[in-house]
Amino acid sequence: MKADTASTAELLNASDLSRVYGGGKGVFGISLTLKAGEVVGLMGPNGSGKTTLLRMLATASTPTSGRLTWFGNSNSRDPSVRRRLGVVLDQAAHFDQMTGYQNGWFFARQFGLTPDLARSRLDELFSWSGISDARDQRVGEYSLGMKRRLNLVEALVHRPAILLLDEPTLALDYRAELDLIERLQLLTLTGTAIILATNDVHLAERLCDRILFLHQGRVIREGRVPELMTELAGSKEVQLQMSSPVSLEKLWLLPAVQAANVEGDTVHIVLARGANPADVLAVLNGTADLVSTMRVRRPNLGDLFLKLTGVALPAAHE
Amino acid sequence: MMLAGTVWQRELLEFYQRRRAMVIKLLFPLFIAIPLLFTHAPVIYVAMALTMLITIIGALGAGAVLTRERLVGLTVRYRTLPVTPGRLLLERLTVNAAIDFLQLIPVLLLVAVRYPNSIAWWPALLLTSMAALLVGNLLGAVASVLSDSPGEVMLYIFIPLLPVLYLSGVFAPLTEPALLVVSRFLPFSYLHEALLGALGGQSNLLPWETALAGLGFLVGAAGLIGRLGRRVLESE
Repeated sequence: MKADTASTAELLNASDLSRVYGGGKGVFGISLTLKAGEVVGLMGPNGSGKTTLLRMLATASTPTSGRLTWFGNSNSRDPSVRRRLGVVLDQAAHFDQMTGYQNGWFFARQFGLTPDLARSRLDELFSWSGISDARDQRVGEYSLGMKRRLNLVEALVHRPAILLLDEPTLALDYRAELDLIERLQLLTLTGTAIILATNDVHLAERLCDRILFLHQGRVIREGRVPELMTELAGSKEVQLQMSSPVSLEKLWLLPAVQAANVEGDTVHIVLARGANPADVLAVLNGTADLVSTMRVRRPNLGDLFLKLTGVALPAAHE
Repeated sequence: MMLAGTVWQRELLEFYQRRRAMVIKLLFPLFIAIPLLFTHAPVIYVAMALTMLITIIGALGAGAVLTRERLVGLTVRYRTLPVTPGRLLLERLTVNAAIDFLQLIPVLLLVAVRYPNSIAWWPALLLTSMAALLVGNLLGAVASVLSDSPGEVMLYIFIPLLPVLYLSGVFAPLTEPALLVVSRFLPFSYLHEALLGALGGQSNLLPWETALAGLGFLVGAAGLIGRLGRRVLESE
């Protein structure tokens, strides 16, 4: 074990971390620290490097360069490190021939729980996750949502010091998402640190202390959630649902437009403080009648990302 | 409900719970062995067929399973377990080889029943079979790293396997001294010799020599698996 002199309050420390794949893709020069009880969100569109980064932090993949320590230990294969991590990866992979409970039991025992403790924790977590009734069913017969819940059970069963979650609310219904947020909030109170890769802006705003925006493998912006939100203070997000495609060029004639992006049949526009949303329709001029729905709402972290990069975050629940 | 808390227990549990696959796995070697052993097939052909059967059983199972697991994301999950990659791969392949051996027991029993006078060769046959299965599993595991589908893994297994079987003297007796030397470094040549002996044929080695070589390859393969754990389980 290679003990560091780094502060023990830092559960995780990544410095200038890179993982390069063929074709120049990957993540580059990322630095990150994580303290007990802290929740850090990784946000970015698909291919921005969230999953690659999370896998490195979860010891599932090795950085090409840079330095990474967990609890002051830089050996990613050290069982004492892995025993203190709880991981939900992007793929809901399980042993499909085994039942949900058998899967949970395997992970609980692998992470060092005694049979009695494994039994009581699994009983509680299966009940919490709402898959109690299916615990004796083969995982191959589970829906994606049930598999994701089982992932959470397996990640939480050994009460890890660091939780690394890749899109944890993916395929969860509203009730399950609320339960998860509550559970994670409680865990942070007991000192569990969480890294969350997500595009669910509501989850990130409710749960995260800090956010790292990733774009093309690099951190383009980092900050505490309230600080980031102040950058959008007074701004508005206008969503136009179009019945036919329109050019965005006209929109840029409006000085108040800070960002605009088309996603499917919806145009997302971030307007600066004081702008009148009706001006958007005015500037669209002859094509305004193609707008089937117009929504104006308070901007969120997704709008800040759009403002910074010109790229919209994919909707988390599509 | 049966529960598994370790990697090797999990392998056994999954094998046990796939009943239909288990029955097929246990029966199919018999479909090959019975006609070979209870007809008048020449010993050299029986030994060749059984050597190939044992080798392929070892290599294909592990290769296909590990490739599928990599594709569905299970390999990445394995990487987050608090177990070193070497130990993890060793546990998995050893259990797989043990299951493969279980699959072969009826065949080996038939050999013993058909040729009861070759008892001196049984220890050698057991040890060389286990070694060939473990080496086959290792070969399958390495091939799985190169493959993008369980079907493709067969290609990566057979490309090296067939020449190796030839160099082991399985397809034809080796007469070139250089090739004979090469064959002594290949585990399948000892399995072939053990089978020739156990089937009442003419072997080039003594039973104890063959048994010792089998034991050596068994230990060597286990050591190599431990060393290759990272390469097999952490390649992307």
